Amino acid sequence: MIQSAIVDEFLTTGQCASCRVIDLHAHYGPYQGIYMPNHTPEQMIATLDRCGVERMVTSGHMALADMVPGNQEITELTERYPTRWSGYTVINPNYPELAARELALYDKRKGMVGLKFHPSGHRYPLDGPNYAPALEFAAERRLMVLSHTWEGPFNSVAEVTKVAEAYPTLDLILGHSIYGEWDGAIALAKRLPNVYLELTAAYAANGIIEKMSAGGVTDKVVFGCDLPWFDPHYAIGCIIFARISESERRMILRETALRLITPRLRH
Amino acid sequence: MDKIAFWDCNASFGLPTRGALKVCASADELVQELDWHGFSGALVYHTAQHDQSPVVGNRVLAEAIAGNPRLIGSWAILPPQTSELPSDASFFRAMEAANVRALWAFPEEHRFLLERLTFGSFLDEVAERRIPLFVRRAIGWPVIYRLMEQYPNLTLVAAAHGPWGEDRLFRPLLERYPNFKLDTSRYEQDMGVSELVRYYGHECLLMGSNYPAAPMGGPRLMIERCDLTPEARRAIAGENLLNLLRKAELS
Repeated sequence: MIQSAIVDEFLTTGQCASCRVIDLHAHYGPYQGIYMPNHTPEQMIATLDRCGVERMVTSGHMALADMVPGNQEITELTERYPTRWSGYTVINPNYPELAARELALYDKRKGMVGLKFHPSGHRYPLDGPNYAPALEFAAERRLMVLSHTWEGPFNSVAEVTKVAEAYPTLDLILGHSIYGEWDGAIALAKRLPNVYLELTAAYAANGIIEKMSAGGVTDKVVFGCDLPWFDPHYAIGCIIFARISESERRMILRETALRLITPRLRH
Repeated sequence: MDKIAFWDCNASFGLPTRGALKVCASADELVQELDWHGFSGALVYHTAQHDQSPVVGNRVLAEAIAGNPRLIGSWAILPPQTSELPSDASFFRAMEAANVRALWAFPEEHRFLLERLTFGSFLDEVAERRIPLFVRRAIGWPVIYRLMEQYPNLTLVAAAHGPWGEDRLFRPLLERYPNFKLDTSRYEQDMGVSELVRYYGHECLLMGSNYPAAPMGGPRLMIERCDLTPEARRAIAGENLLNLLRKAELS
């Protein structure tokens, strides 16, 4: 069997004391199209405890549907759990005036560490003009921007490349690692210092972790699992059993995300 | 740590025609993967059974797993009308001789309708012999619903379902048909397994990875650490599958 102290500890205790996980892609609350049995704040915190996740950064499902109440809901949760729960302010480009209002509230919402875009969900391309004010806002403040990315229209390599090149002072985290456009995503992360690959769903594409390692971008790969959608143990298992080094496991589960989030914590 | 024997009910090998991010070319490679992930064994099929033809693929699988007690085979079925495969008792005797104890149906790849009009008494016999039939849930829940309605005693395993938590679709089947089962591959909802077991019992779940399309490590850690009794975890990890295979009457 695989020889890894990290694997042994996760199998034995469900967590790893020397490698507490940071989850940069989480959500909150129920959502369309899926039954989630474990989505209350208390249940989600219990999952973090069970799986050895130190902190998660969330965008609310409510916020993906309606920014105004949804971002406020996440703000309140970050205040209730300041050491475990950080937030992204969701920007829906279909409502530019409301988006401007949400950006105006950003500085006051101390639990927020960046912005969240969902171009395909909002049916609006990542490089479209309505995202520009939010991207300029994030670039000025050197924020993290987590964007849903996937092959196909709205958020593929083509759109991501334009945005990453145009705004080099923000850190662009590619949610799902441009699922299906693996080579393009890896090349982008290799070439541009501000591009990071996030693993939600991608971890289940068998071989992708090793491919990222072979592409020399493991230090640009971060953990996520869409909690409360997915059991962090499923995602962690995909990563720790991959044929990569122990130090790469630590980078993906914790170290790179810690480096990204620490300067952005304002609580 | 309790030692849990893991058996994967949904693993395959053989080169896929369309290529893949990760392939598992041979039975030997699959065994290496089982070792890496700490699995005792697997119920397996060969890509030739869906990418080419069950007529060839069933034979290729049997030859590849011969003499390896950690790999138990599954054969693919075809409609009896074209007589490409035997549909009488000789088929089941050949299964036993080849250490094959389950069946797969790939209706989309081989262009048939998986229903009574096509399979008639053949699937009645499969049900009576308690031979598990595996299908990918991608064939569509309406197809699976109709099949269970037509063969209510069939031991049917809906495998390789996606991560979208299709509880609203499969729970009615679990309520109605005691021989309807699910594999765990990408049933990765947070606390989903433990809640499902609380409502329906552990007997409905079989450890499955859908390897090599998906990794074994994810379901391995999830089942090892899920919030269930040790007995339930052991059952899902392997005992449920082995019990099903033991019950299959082939001779």
